[in-house]
Amino acid sequence: MVEVHLYGKLRRFSDNQDPTRHSIVHIQAGEADTINDILRRIGIPRDEVGDNIFLNGRYSSFERKVKNGDRLGVFPDNMAMIIV
Amino acid sequence: MSKILRVNMTDLTAKFESVPEKYNLLGGRALTSSITCDEVPPTCHPLGPSNKLTFSTGIVTGTNAPTSGRISVGAKAPLTGTIKEANSGGMAPQKLARLGIKAIIVEGQPKKPGKFWLLKVDKDGAKLLPADSFTGKGLYQTYPLLFKEFGDKVAIIGIGTAGERLMSSAGICINDPENRPARYAGRGGLGAVMGSKGLKAIILDDAGGPGVTIANKELFDIGRKKLVAALQKNDLTKPGGALNTYGTAVLINVINEAGALPTRNFREGRFEGASSISGETLNENCKTRGGAGMTGHGCSPGCIIKCSNVYPNPDGTELVSVQEYESIWAFGANCGIDSLEVTGELIHMCNDFGVDTIEAGVTIGVAMEAGLADFGDSKKTIELMNEIGQGTPLGHILGNGAAVTARTFGVVRCPTVKGQAMPAYEPRAIKGIGIIYATTTMGADHTAGYTIAPEILGVSDDIDQFKTDKAALARHFQNVTAYILDSSGHCLFIAFAILDDPSGLEGVVEECNGVLGTKWTLDDMVKLGSDIVKKERAFNTAAGFTPADDRLPEFMSYEKLPPHNVTFDVPDEELDKVHHA
Repeated sequence: MVEVHLYGKLRRFSDNQDPTRHSIVHIQAGEADTINDILRRIGIPRDEVGDNIFLNGRYSSFERKVKNGDRLGVFPDNMAMIIV
Repeated sequence: MSKILRVNMTDLTAKFESVPEKYNLLGGRALTSSITCDEVPPTCHPLGPSNKLTFSTGIVTGTNAPTSGRISVGAKAPLTGTIKEANSGGMAPQKLARLGIKAIIVEGQPKKPGKFWLLKVDKDGAKLLPADSFTGKGLYQTYPLLFKEFGDKVAIIGIGTAGERLMSSAGICINDPENRPARYAGRGGLGAVMGSKGLKAIILDDAGGPGVTIANKELFDIGRKKLVAALQKNDLTKPGGALNTYGTAVLINVINEAGALPTRNFREGRFEGASSISGETLNENCKTRGGAGMTGHGCSPGCIIKCSNVYPNPDGTELVSVQEYESIWAFGANCGIDSLEVTGELIHMCNDFGVDTIEAGVTIGVAMEAGLADFGDSKKTIELMNEIGQGTPLGHILGNGAAVTARTFGVVRCPTVKGQAMPAYEPRAIKGIGIIYATTTMGADHTAGYTIAPEILGVSDDIDQFKTDKAALARHFQNVTAYILDSSGHCLFIAFAILDDPSGLEGVVEECNGVLGTKWTLDDMVKLGSDIVKKERAFNTAAGFTPADDRLPEFMSYEKLPPHNVTFDVPDEELDKVHHA
């Protein structure tokens, strides 16, 4: 399973919206899955995600591959410290 | 015509001087550091009569340029023994600029120690008044008394009891728009320098002041509009953007997710309680508790970003302004405390005593390491902070900062560079900021070159946080910061917008050219920044600093930081390349 930590308005895709607690979605990763694939499967619209994505604590592009056991942190566009 | 106000605390005189030609085009840090280099012997004792404390506003401060209410305070710092520039917003910067004063230089020392004075400055001149009835109390008591005496339209630059007692963590406080003692030129112990001069506060009344002369109004307006547009477009800085909505504490969750939030005195890079002290939680509590709570609070008039906040108690009454990322982290993750109520109370204590929140929080973390309290023990933390407020012998040790506390108790895990506590970014997990901590002229200081923007926040190029070959990046950021941010008078946080939008950066250059009547290019300004950093380096070298001081604490080279399990592995040669390319 990939452990996906969601922040800000993206917390609504998890069971928890209380910001004092973690909003985590566990999802099975397939062989060639990228971060993009995982987000699509959770149902998060691409345009709600900023470029602030961390795979195992590492700043990542959407195209990086994920595997079970990874931790993925995803911040929304309006918390995005990202631009471009 | 702009002037310099020279205040001599030995003979208690305050005189205006014309601005020497060499200072005409300088402002902010460029001017404070130039004056420190020109007038302060590098080997002097920071608290002795030869040190000088200089206040200077930025080039565009006092105009209607956005987010430009900033002041630089410079001296030789007691905390680090280096040159220092500490920067603050609040109500004083614009008032000082509109009084037509380019800099205030405070020199000498009263013959009678323990006696304090107020410096009152208005359109008619400057005079020193006895401060006897305003000393020895917390600033939440003192500031209202001063406003009662001088009227609520003045601005106050003052020190608390920590500064009076010459503690090296003492900051210099400036009132916010609601006249709280809430904004700080916090770092380096400049409050102690002000205390050593016997100066309790500067009272600025700008009514009827001449204002700031703008040489080329048309060009200035073109630049101003470009910067406004850049700030209003950027997701981080725009109204309703990340900083405006969540405050700087938006970074708690981000940096925690990056595994770079220093936790329990820099033992770990991720804090299990981060969510409870995050910008999201802060925002939620401000919204749901009602009453005094608010995000989107501005620290000075004319700011577009408005990243400040007023944090409410559960019943909606005001607990404190402001809960910043650095302050929340210092007492929160760094001390293992997962409550905004507790961090708020501790920040209130810092504001009251007049100490830097970063230095105080890191000091408490070191004290916990020494066994004076358990990590996470809020009650004991408050007791330790009270020692500082009461000026007990233990309070003096803690009040002199993390390095002094570590040495006193034999703590090896001491997260300081040149005696100054590290801020809220773990250098083992974000190498570039580590290079900045090691090599700035200021001691561990994230504002001297905010490489976090490219390393984590994705602003401009995508630069990997773990790469170690960043000497050139660190050099460039230090130079850009020195002039385009610290000297122009703009807040550091415009960096997010101008790094992302070349037109915004152009706007800053045009604003400065507009005010000064110069024809600088961007490269000229970066060159000026580089000159300032070189000058500051020369001061430090003359004060006895060598490349061996441009290092992080040794424990970071052999203790692996979870969750990434990395050490600080930037080679010494890379660090030395920053200033010797």
